Amino acid sequence: MSPHGEKPADGWQGLSRLTVWADAVVGALIIAPAAIGLTIALALAPLAWGWSVLPVPAALALFAGMTYLDLLRLRAVGYRVTDERMEMRSGLIAKAYRSIPRERVRSVDVAAPLYVRVFGLCTVTVGTGESAGAGGSDQLQLQFVTAGQGEQLRRDLLQRGPVPKTTGENEENGTGEGPEEEEEELARLNPRWFAYAPATGATLGIGVGALATLASISAQMGGRGRQWLSEWLVLPSGAEIGAFIMGRLLLLVPLTLFALLLLGAVVTLAAAVETWWDYRLIRQSDGTVRLRRGLLTSVSLSVEGRRLNGVALREPFVLRSVGGAEIRAVATGLSAGDDEKTAAKSRLSPAMPGKRARALAATLLRTPDSPFGPVPRVHPRAALRRRFARAGMATLAATAVAGALTWVHVQLRGPWADAWSSVEAEAMGVPLTSGAAEATPVWGWFAVAALFGAVAFWYAVGSYRGLGHGVHTRHLVVRRGMAVRTTVAMERSAVIGWRISRSPFQRRLALADVSATTAAGEGRYTAADVGLGQGVAWAEEAVPGLLAPFVERVEPESGAPERSVLP
Amino acid sequence: MSSDALRLRPPRHRVDRRAIMWWTARALMTTVVITAAPAVPAVFVEPIRFWLLSATVVVAVTGLSVTVVMPQWRYRVHRWEVTDTAVYTSSGWLWQEWRVAPMSRIQTVDTARGPLQRVFGLSSVTVTTASAAGPIEISGLDHMRATEVVDQLTETTEATPGDAT
Repeated sequence: MSPHGEKPADGWQGLSRLTVWADAVVGALIIAPAAIGLTIALALAPLAWGWSVLPVPAALALFAGMTYLDLLRLRAVGYRVTDERMEMRSGLIAKAYRSIPRERVRSVDVAAPLYVRVFGLCTVTVGTGESAGAGGSDQLQLQFVTAGQGEQLRRDLLQRGPVPKTTGENEENGTGEGPEEEEEELARLNPRWFAYAPATGATLGIGVGALATLASISAQMGGRGRQWLSEWLVLPSGAEIGAFIMGRLLLLVPLTLFALLLLGAVVTLAAAVETWWDYRLIRQSDGTVRLRRGLLTSVSLSVEGRRLNGVALREPFVLRSVGGAEIRAVATGLSAGDDEKTAAKSRLSPAMPGKRARALAATLLRTPDSPFGPVPRVHPRAALRRRFARAGMATLAATAVAGALTWVHVQLRGPWADAWSSVEAEAMGVPLTSGAAEATPVWGWFAVAALFGAVAFWYAVGSYRGLGHGVHTRHLVVRRGMAVRTTVAMERSAVIGWRISRSPFQRRLALADVSATTAAGEGRYTAADVGLGQGVAWAEEAVPGLLAPFVERVEPESGAPERSVLP
Repeated sequence: MSSDALRLRPPRHRVDRRAIMWWTARALMTTVVITAAPAVPAVFVEPIRFWLLSATVVVAVTGLSVTVVMPQWRYRVHRWEVTDTAVYTSSGWLWQEWRVAPMSRIQTVDTARGPLQRVFGLSSVTVTTASAAGPIEISGLDHMRATEVVDQLTETTEATPGDAT
């Protein structure tokens, strides 16, 4: 069955010839400046001048080699779409041939980074949901084909067969007949939504990261860079700066924070614009949901309606506190390498107003009663007690750490003071910490620990409030999380099993984690810390009959302990 | 629906009694290895011998108590059941887990016998579904019994319609 004949006939298509040009231009843009820079550096360096002649020919050879390999790759890679299958051959030395049934195709992802787009090309990634051997990717990738080919592939692969035929699935969208242009727009970018972009914890993190990078560069240069800079800018000496900072701490700390926030806001905003520019989410007549977005790298992702098993509404803490939310897909065939990439790929919307996000999620699920309203079922008080216990442990640990730090602090003021300030002068040039050790009271650490404890208990309450589970007409709902509150609504028909797990603590409190396992998304969605009976009832209600043979009724409040516990 | 009135009954069958021996042997081997880690240097390194020996004692006592308690405990928890519609298992000791998978979603069924399991004449049956949550495993079955279970599962899954995704 393997059509290894290299004939371009019988429907085989190759990558676009422009691929080689695109790669060559990018290669040249990277290699040429490097070669020129190296030439200059070598010419300036106290070496024999002959060295400086080398980089340019070496770069040319490298460039020629890369282009040659690219040409070989262009000839080796081919694909074709037949009525039943998509086939792809590839490989320069080890020939590879993969063939997947078209009905296994779960997503088609068309991406066009800027440098490819100017050539009218794009990358097509086909998600299959089945991996080729251990550790193999479950995707076929074509790098690059023309935009026309990409569009054609997307259309062909997600349409069920050119001839209307029943696919054996009892789904209503099996015909693939309807005209392509009948599509429903679910969402379109509203530029105001970009206001939500800086509302993440990363905003401050980016600023702090930039500052830390500066400090570490300064430390690596052994203070010389700073010396040079301060001579150049006529900056005062380290000690003076230290005194200056200490003198105006109340003014400088908020000012620095503000500057960091501003820097972070600019970066996150730019990232959001790059990612979500031209955002459009549509549903085609055959149920396929199609996402388009991107400024420099334009991305188009199509997920077959049948494979979109649910929607996750994500509300990270900062975004939630300004009333925003974002949406991710719970679908099969979207996995890509690692979890992070998978998560990035399953994003269906930018941060947007919570109300709009909930409405969009409900539209995506095609259900009249939105599962994203208030979650009906509250978890038992014992779940709150568990979280309080954890907060208590964290507070104890923080107190212990505070004790240790206080000891160090006392040492820094006394015996270690001289040694430390010289180390610090070496690394940062500014005696910030030793100054701070002098200026702040020793009991400060315990104040911080107390604050930490207060936050821990507040977090415990918040994460208990975040818990919830429910059942709707076609979906089941689970909600959890404080740092990132995630509400997942998943089709009840997509549940392929249950997993109930209990730790010793949960058994003592009559709690359990009840998880629905599924082929979509993360593979397992959990109602955390539900009452055991409550969880079983929920599972039985969501998928009637599956658990029923294994469920028994006991008298409520009988207090009978589990049979299968301690010997 | 009054909620606390429901709970899962244990699956019908226990695993083979020899599984206790198997778990004991396994725990004993682990204990020996992790006890050796601080014990061997203690012979050679003079200055911190006291600390190494204390670590050895702590590790050995913990390991041996696990070896004594865990197999019995596991034997009480580990159970399995195969019906016409589903596979149902329970496993674990401190942390316990119950799993249910419907027949229509089962993709593959296989048996495995590790060297240690073979000593005790035991097998594990692994039931894989499309979920990323991992397969369901029934470990510590008698070898003959495991083969029967696999045959029964294969027969039932073949008779059950569904595309297993």
